[in-house]
Amino acid sequence: MSLSSTPSSSSPLSHLWLTRPFSERSTRIFLAVLALALAVVTVLHLALPAGHPLHVSSYTVTLLGKYLCYALLAVAVDLVWGYLGILSLGHGAFFALGGYAMGMYLMRQIGDRGVYGDPVLPDFMVFLNWDSLPWFWHGFDMAWFAFLMVMLAPGLLALLFGFLAFRSRVTGVYLSIITQALTFALMLAFFRNEMGFGGNNGLTDFRELLGFDLRSDATRLGLFLASGVALALGYVVCRGIVGSKLGRVCIASRDAEARVRFLGYRVERVQLCVFVVSAMLAGVAGSLYVPQVGIINPSEFSPLFSIEVVVWVALGGRGTLYGAVIGAILVNYAKTVFTGVMPDAWLFALGGLFVVVTVLLPKGIAGLMTRRRKADSDTQLKEATP
Amino acid sequence: MSLLDALADRDRVFDFLVPASSPVDVRHGPILYLEDVNVSFDGFKAINNLNLTINDGELRCIIGPNGAGKTTMMDIITGKTRPDSGQVWFGSRHNLLTKNEPEIASLGIGRKFQKPTVFEALSVFDNLELAMAADKRVLPTLTARLSGEQRSRIDEVLETIGLESLCGRQAGILSHGQKQWLEIGMLLMQRPRLLLVDEPVAGMTEQEMERTAELLTSLAGKQSVVVVEHDMGFVRSIARQVTVLHQGSVLAEGTMDQVSNDPKVIEVYLGAEEEA
Amino acid sequence: MRITRCLTLWLLLCALMLALLGSAQAQQDDPGKPLLEALASASYAAKSDAIDAIVASGDSRSRAWLEALNDGKLQQNKQTGQFVVVLANRGRNWPVEDALSGEPLGEMSRRELDRIGINNALRGQLRSTLAVLDLYVDNPDARLQAANDLLGQVDAGMVAPLEAVRDQEPSEAVQERLTEALAIYRLEQGDAQAIETLSGSLHPEARAALNGAAASDDPALAAQAKKALDGIEQTLKINRGFETLYFGLSLGSVLVLAAIGLAITFGVMGVINMAHGELIMLGAYTSWGMQQLLPGQPGLAVILSIPAGFLVAGLAGVAIERCVIQFLKGRPLETLLATFGVSLILQQLVRTLVSPLNRTVITPEWMSGSLVINDALSLTLNRLYVLGFALLVFAALMLVMRRTRLGLEVRAVTQNRAMARSMGIRATRVDMLTFGLGAGVAGLAGVALAQLTNVGPNLGQSYIIDSFMVVVFGGVGNLWGTLVAGMSLGVINQVLEPWAGAVLAKIIVLVFIILFIQKRPRGLFPQKGRAAEG
Repeated sequence: MSLSSTPSSSSPLSHLWLTRPFSERSTRIFLAVLALALAVVTVLHLALPAGHPLHVSSYTVTLLGKYLCYALLAVAVDLVWGYLGILSLGHGAFFALGGYAMGMYLMRQIGDRGVYGDPVLPDFMVFLNWDSLPWFWHGFDMAWFAFLMVMLAPGLLALLFGFLAFRSRVTGVYLSIITQALTFALMLAFFRNEMGFGGNNGLTDFRELLGFDLRSDATRLGLFLASGVALALGYVVCRGIVGSKLGRVCIASRDAEARVRFLGYRVERVQLCVFVVSAMLAGVAGSLYVPQVGIINPSEFSPLFSIEVVVWVALGGRGTLYGAVIGAILVNYAKTVFTGVMPDAWLFALGGLFVVVTVLLPKGIAGLMTRRRKADSDTQLKEATP
Repeated sequence: MSLLDALADRDRVFDFLVPASSPVDVRHGPILYLEDVNVSFDGFKAINNLNLTINDGELRCIIGPNGAGKTTMMDIITGKTRPDSGQVWFGSRHNLLTKNEPEIASLGIGRKFQKPTVFEALSVFDNLELAMAADKRVLPTLTARLSGEQRSRIDEVLETIGLESLCGRQAGILSHGQKQWLEIGMLLMQRPRLLLVDEPVAGMTEQEMERTAELLTSLAGKQSVVVVEHDMGFVRSIARQVTVLHQGSVLAEGTMDQVSNDPKVIEVYLGAEEEA
Repeated sequence: MRITRCLTLWLLLCALMLALLGSAQAQQDDPGKPLLEALASASYAAKSDAIDAIVASGDSRSRAWLEALNDGKLQQNKQTGQFVVVLANRGRNWPVEDALSGEPLGEMSRRELDRIGINNALRGQLRSTLAVLDLYVDNPDARLQAANDLLGQVDAGMVAPLEAVRDQEPSEAVQERLTEALAIYRLEQGDAQAIETLSGSLHPEARAALNGAAASDDPALAAQAKKALDGIEQTLKINRGFETLYFGLSLGSVLVLAAIGLAITFGVMGVINMAHGELIMLGAYTSWGMQQLLPGQPGLAVILSIPAGFLVAGLAGVAIERCVIQFLKGRPLETLLATFGVSLILQQLVRTLVSPLNRTVITPEWMSGSLVINDALSLTLNRLYVLGFALLVFAALMLVMRRTRLGLEVRAVTQNRAMARSMGIRATRVDMLTFGLGAGVAGLAGVALAQLTNVGPNLGQSYIIDSFMVVVFGGVGNLWGTLVAGMSLGVINQVLEPWAGAVLAKIIVLVFIILFIQKRPRGLFPQKGRAAEG
């Protein structure tokens, strides 16, 4: 299979790993389906009048945008879990950090239109009687800086944490537990008012992003499309990595870490690099999520959320990337339906999903699909060779 | 290499006095040199004052009853286990005790495990590709692209190990013997100066064993080979020098004939073998 | 004089009448009656003697009489001579009760009653008498309590009676307290010698007195007082240290209880049981349920809920093992996810079946209160019981693992599963029992926790991450490691809390463990050797 993936010779050599995915059938299908979905939603939203049964309301557009952010987060988790074998129970932390970076930018954009009308300080700081911005809030009035921090903040945390963890070869369940402790510690920290991130209430009351009113339908549609594009880009980056020789090193170290070391690869550096990339993708997902839901608070750091992301991936099928997208959208759609109709049953359903997927569907929905395809080809093979 | 180059290359900033790629210095004879090595696990002495010298280009067989410390010795040489005391040198320049597994591997020590460990989720071709001697840092690996020369090198090894027809199949479907071969193939791809081969013929047919013996003897001379094996017939067929380990130290050393006539060896190992 | 004579005549007449009526039989025999009669004498000097006599009698009603006298509520029926205590003196008719028997006598007109009068001198005497009165009771604990109350309350009038009482006091503890109380008074009067007596005291009143002295104009006195204060401060620090240690060990014991079941399942089966917290919660709810079944007998309920909690959680654990975990052999990460799902289901189940609100478990009497070591240090009993319980559970588990057939099989399976199976050990059965045992211990932890906090559906969640930290910190598969890790994490947390605050302390501990794992990936007490490599 890897033999057949000979890339087109026209692409420049250095970007080879990034352009390779476009020659893969699965990536093409994925991108086509995604583009089609984005186009259909846009058309149904813009072209049809509000009363029309097929009209997609602004609310639904935002909801779908949220799903796309979750899907990107799931892809990031799948990259480390499916290909590197690192079950991170703390990816919510990277997602939330990206979200906070965006939230801080949006807070600064409010300017003097807050309840207290302070031109610089966000409302909660005025409320806490602070007289100046904490140092880490500086620079967030500039969009480029904030967007940089969206990737840098989670990336740096992942770099620091991963450097310590992978260097001392903390793997398997130990690593999972430690990542969970990390996000738990961050949640406790962000709950504190003294941290300067709005404590319990988090950051909210956003008004505009890059000058666009967040409440207008056009901005919402724009954010939805941006989420879709981010998902597509993230998917291609991940595909590029897993399709390269590095991706094969990842799979090899997932299955036999020690053996890879004896071949001369620095497994901990491979793990660290991929982990950081994954954390940055999670940060981007969080940054697009926040303007759509209009709030970011410490509950995004909760261990429950992070572990929920893992079950999206498990349901979709780990180690496929597109499975993660399917899983994220399916589970979140189910969550929206359940919490609307019978909220009490949602946790039963989610808990049951965890059990059923791990016990009965170890390869997830993607596994079902490939099994069916394999079965088809097997029967074809049999028929061909009587 | 100029100092500037060394500084520009991040991997070599700290140890540029002994660059990782510097040739193994074998002017003094031995390529591998172990002196007074001791390891204990929870009070149990797995390796006890072990002294061992392997000369450049030598094919050495190491035998010994279970628990003699053969695998632990391999672990020490490849950096998996750190000894409590003693010295381990690769040539006369590289102190292996200061290096980790990837560093030791890139110095040119390859290892085949007792239990064949191939990457089952990857194809046979991919297994060999990963093992190939190349720049193994992260970014070069990400952008790596097979050159024609490398491809033919892989094909060559595929032929040597007789797995050409299976090159696109997942390694997980191979039989035990085929996995053994694949792993030997991976060793060859690494082009190591020293091969550590742990029980290469377990689970092989008579015929496969013969081919393995041929391969290993053909390697000797160009490369140094250390074989740990239980199968006496196999050892007899390839061995020039045999070392007998017992309770973590060397019991006897010499040709197969010398060793098998040594009364101490007969008592602890061969005697039991022949009675059985 | 005339009044006295009249009164005497009155009394005689009354006595005659009562005797005739025959109803005064009981009153006449009552030893309290002459005491009260002496009080009613006209002379204030006689009254003063009478007060002393009442105090000396040790009569249990003395306090009520003297307080009533002090408030002007001890009165005498003009006609019958009966002594009554006025309960409320408002309006014309006052509700009264018999001063001797305490029986309510309905209402009497204020005209019928005669107040037993006192003057200022008597008032002073009564105040100090009342203060020392409790020192005459028979119960030494009550006397100690009374002596405690006197600290800082001594005034000039009380010095003489207190000294007298002290010299007769049989209990040494009470004597010391009285000496202290007197010393505080003397120090307040500027007596430098009292400082020596007080230098060993940890009572806040003694420190207040010393502080006052340290600020006095007399430099010698001030210096001496300061020195004594420094000494006390030192002792207090040690005591505070002990207190922190106690709270730390108490928190640690909870952590150990919560984590030790996890250590068993994690160490033996390599199974990450995310539902462990919910098994703790089940144990806590069992404790609560037992109290609902046995209303009014919290003590019995607590005792019974120990085996019940073990069984409920243990059976739940066996069910989880049979239904989920046995299908996920050798896939620890999947097990983690599946058991997390189980934990969500269990939580929601409790929310639906019982209530989403917290429940309170009543602490039985023998577990409430505290053990007083000295003025600065007292240990709450329920925490002490939990600490003891944790150690007991730990010892029992050690015994099970070291001395029983099950323990042997468990250790065999841990070390080499395939080998153990080939030797005839039914590994699946061992798995089931081990998991049941670990779950049962979680249930015990729940029973203990119910005594310390409220019982709610989220109870388990708040302990699961901490428990994992303990297991990882201690080293997997090592019960001693779990004990040491739990206790030390508890103590570290309590030591950090005063200067960092509870939340920050917790964060620091988490970060500490995250960093610690980098240094020693296999915990404090790692398993060594080849077996651990696999």
